[in-house]
Amino acid sequence: MNKSLKEKLLSSFSDIQIDITEDNKVFINTKKDDVISVLNFLKNLGYKHLALISCTDWIEENEFELVYILSSYMENDTEYRNKEKTNILVKTRIPREKAEFVTLINVFANAEPYERELHELYGIYFEGHPRLTPLFLEREYKIPPFRKDFDTKKYVKEVFDNIPFVKDRKEKK
Amino acid sequence: MDRNKLEKWLKSPTKMGHKYSLHVVYFCTGCGIIEIPPSITARWDAERFGIIPVASPRQANLFLITGYVALKTLKAIIRTYEQMPEPKFTVAFGSCPINGGMYWDSYNTIKHLDKYIPIDGWIAGCMPRPEAIFIGVTHLWTLIDKEMADGYKKYRKDYKYYRENQEQIFGKLEWPPLFQKEVKK
Repeated sequence: MNKSLKEKLLSSFSDIQIDITEDNKVFINTKKDDVISVLNFLKNLGYKHLALISCTDWIEENEFELVYILSSYMENDTEYRNKEKTNILVKTRIPREKAEFVTLINVFANAEPYERELHELYGIYFEGHPRLTPLFLEREYKIPPFRKDFDTKKYVKEVFDNIPFVKDRKEKK
Repeated sequence: MDRNKLEKWLKSPTKMGHKYSLHVVYFCTGCGIIEIPPSITARWDAERFGIIPVASPRQANLFLITGYVALKTLKAIIRTYEQMPEPKFTVAFGSCPINGGMYWDSYNTIKHLDKYIPIDGWIAGCMPRPEAIFIGVTHLWTLIDKEMADGYKKYRKDYKYYRENQEQIFGKLEWPPLFQKEVKK
């Protein structure tokens, strides 16, 4: 099944790299312009479940790597029913300075919270996203906290250690 | 009722009442809440110590803070604590509220909880066993007996400083101060 999937993908897209591991994971590396069409293609093949969008900060190469993880609901599909579960990881790279990408909401509606999360923790702007508002964090950070150049120890020293104990604050006045 | 304690009951009925009816707010923070279901159900049976979980902070007088406190949780903790009627006691669980624990360099976790609300007792460990909760509670009894569990009195007295600390971390708070400034006569 995976081999036929590979052939199908290779015949429809030119700039694409596919690795298949033994534990049924399919890694697809694409250019940033092709990602939406690849995901759309996979969705039409039956991989209808977007499990997660994740991100890696490759600070030395000055790039973010976006990873879209897909799988299928195999019970509903006669072709896949008695086979092992396949996870598909679609990877792409975007530049770190101009961290912008296109939203996936038109293809997978459940991409909305994942993209909000990435916007908040990595500072990636998704064009066409209806509400990139704060999701988890309570304070504002100058550098988004999941980026590699965010210095947590320095931040803790500046913010949390600067707050005095009540006893000390009382004595100061 | 234990007949040996009859004298104590007659001497200070309020204290004995506070001691043996500790109602806990059902408030989950962090991973320590996983210790609460076994300790309130049949195996460890917290009710023999008079500990019952209640649904609303208005009915409670014991606040167990069960694990690491993120900034968003801290806001909820302050609001819950301020809603509880006096006398109220707080016990913080595990090493994270004490000094940050394994989240000592986290960008979003509070390091010292007693900077923001008063804490009467600490239970160290990651995580403490249910037995440790009961040891902590029996210690709290002795503190109540000696009138040393006075966190709520401290909060009333030093509210200004606690509020300043809370405002330093959050910026402007959305709710008005619990205690208004003292009016000079």
